[in-house]
Amino acid sequence: MVPNDICELNLTDLSWLIAARELSSVEAVNAALTRLERLEGKLNAFITVLYEEARAEAKKVDEEIARGNNRGPLHGIPVTIKDMFETAGVLTTGGSKILQDWVPETDSALVERLRRAGAIIIGKTNLDEFGHGGTSTLSHFGPVHNPWDIQRIAGGSSGGSAAAVAARIGMLSYGTETGSSVRRPASYCGITGFKPTFGIISRHGSFRGAWSQDHVGLFARSVKDIALGLDPVAGFDARDPASVHQETPEYAARLNANVKGLKIGVLGKFLEGVDSTVKQAFDAALKVLAGVGCEIIDFDVPEVRYAAMTSMMTSSAESAGINRRWFRERYQDFVPHVARGIAVGMAITASEYLTVQRARHRIREALRAAYEKTDIIASPTTARVAPLLSEGLKGSGDDTRHASYNQSNLLRFPSMLGLPGCSLPIGISQEGMPIGMQLIGSWFADQTVLNAALAYQSTTDWHTRGPVLGNP
Amino acid sequence: MKDMDKVAHRLAFLEGASFSPEDLESIVKEIEDNERIVGELEEFSQGTPWISLQAQPHEKKA
Repeated sequence: MVPNDICELNLTDLSWLIAARELSSVEAVNAALTRLERLEGKLNAFITVLYEEARAEAKKVDEEIARGNNRGPLHGIPVTIKDMFETAGVLTTGGSKILQDWVPETDSALVERLRRAGAIIIGKTNLDEFGHGGTSTLSHFGPVHNPWDIQRIAGGSSGGSAAAVAARIGMLSYGTETGSSVRRPASYCGITGFKPTFGIISRHGSFRGAWSQDHVGLFARSVKDIALGLDPVAGFDARDPASVHQETPEYAARLNANVKGLKIGVLGKFLEGVDSTVKQAFDAALKVLAGVGCEIIDFDVPEVRYAAMTSMMTSSAESAGINRRWFRERYQDFVPHVARGIAVGMAITASEYLTVQRARHRIREALRAAYEKTDIIASPTTARVAPLLSEGLKGSGDDTRHASYNQSNLLRFPSMLGLPGCSLPIGISQEGMPIGMQLIGSWFADQTVLNAALAYQSTTDWHTRGPVLGNP
Repeated sequence: MKDMDKVAHRLAFLEGASFSPEDLESIVKEIEDNERIVGELEEFSQGTPWISLQAQPHEKKA
């Protein structure tokens, strides 16, 4: 099997082939690394690539499998992780000059669990500095380019992870989300991105963007692959104060595309400013969901008009608190836009932060009531497709500073409130760029979200399409 | 200068970081706009309980 063919396999098939010893982990890892070498010059998706370490790990995996020991679906599978996760013996930078030479001694919880599952980490992906951004252009290591059009952004802050998966470098990538940093880049890069309920995946050993909104999430080319990548890393961890007790995760085994009767709520008033091609794709996606038995309900939650402002102010204050020491000692070493943002956050007083949390509570209660009427809230993930790099930070058209029926509020409320959300591809624009839809469930309804996404992907093929970049 | 005077009490929180005049102008502008945002959120959240975290540890179950 030639390397490009290996990179096109889905996780289920690759996992089976490795377990059956019809393909070796060394071959899978080499295929991913070969593809990375060919494309990385155009993407800048990686900060560190673990060529020798990954090959050595893969060899050990093959020997282990030959002895009859298979650890599960991720055993021998090449994966990547955002450079926010501490990795023992491996440069971990957060996309920042401040940590450009830092090598941790211990693994983050995510890396511990990936190693336990036998996954092979082939690289640490590029990102907005410490997760502060929505473009992945605010990195000390240069911007990430979108594999569908390298003149466009990949989105952020987990842009390197999204770009890697879209470019078929590694089967899965793990990222983080504070505002929209899994869902936005997934949408911009035409892949599936999932952010579980707050507390499902341990954040121990990852850098904090804003502690009350930070989540670990993941990227893959299908929701089936997402579920396989989620099971080994979900679960209680006492070292993360936000971690929740749960039964042994079995998201993959419980996937079920039968969603007859599922209620899908649409907050239509928030979609008026969305680009017409994005709206058309979303309307078509709703028809697909209706076709598989979902009930589409139009309704309004006016409190959500304040979500983007509330999320932004919360992040601003919390990230200032987290970065206070470095800001005091070496603010000039932050990416300038990030330094300015931290400065603004430093000026928020405690009483103002508490006022913002009161607003957050009001929005949370409004969504709690909304989820008594609907199972899922669906919308386009972003109001437009990935903007050009030349459009700068305002290219997305997001507005986090005004209370209005702006789609930005739909992008921000899920992470602010800790709700599970999945972005999946639903079309391609006239410019040839992917369009995404997000499905947001109620707290701990992660399986419902995954099932709804599976139902959509079982009857469409947008998630199978990839960029032309690098294809023979 | 006038704008900076208005937010001088907030700039004191910047712990001596010295930005360029252009950066400072942009920071000041955003700080002032944040005051407007907090005002709107204060209005919006009238009647909503204040958040309090439990001090004692408690089991959280999914």
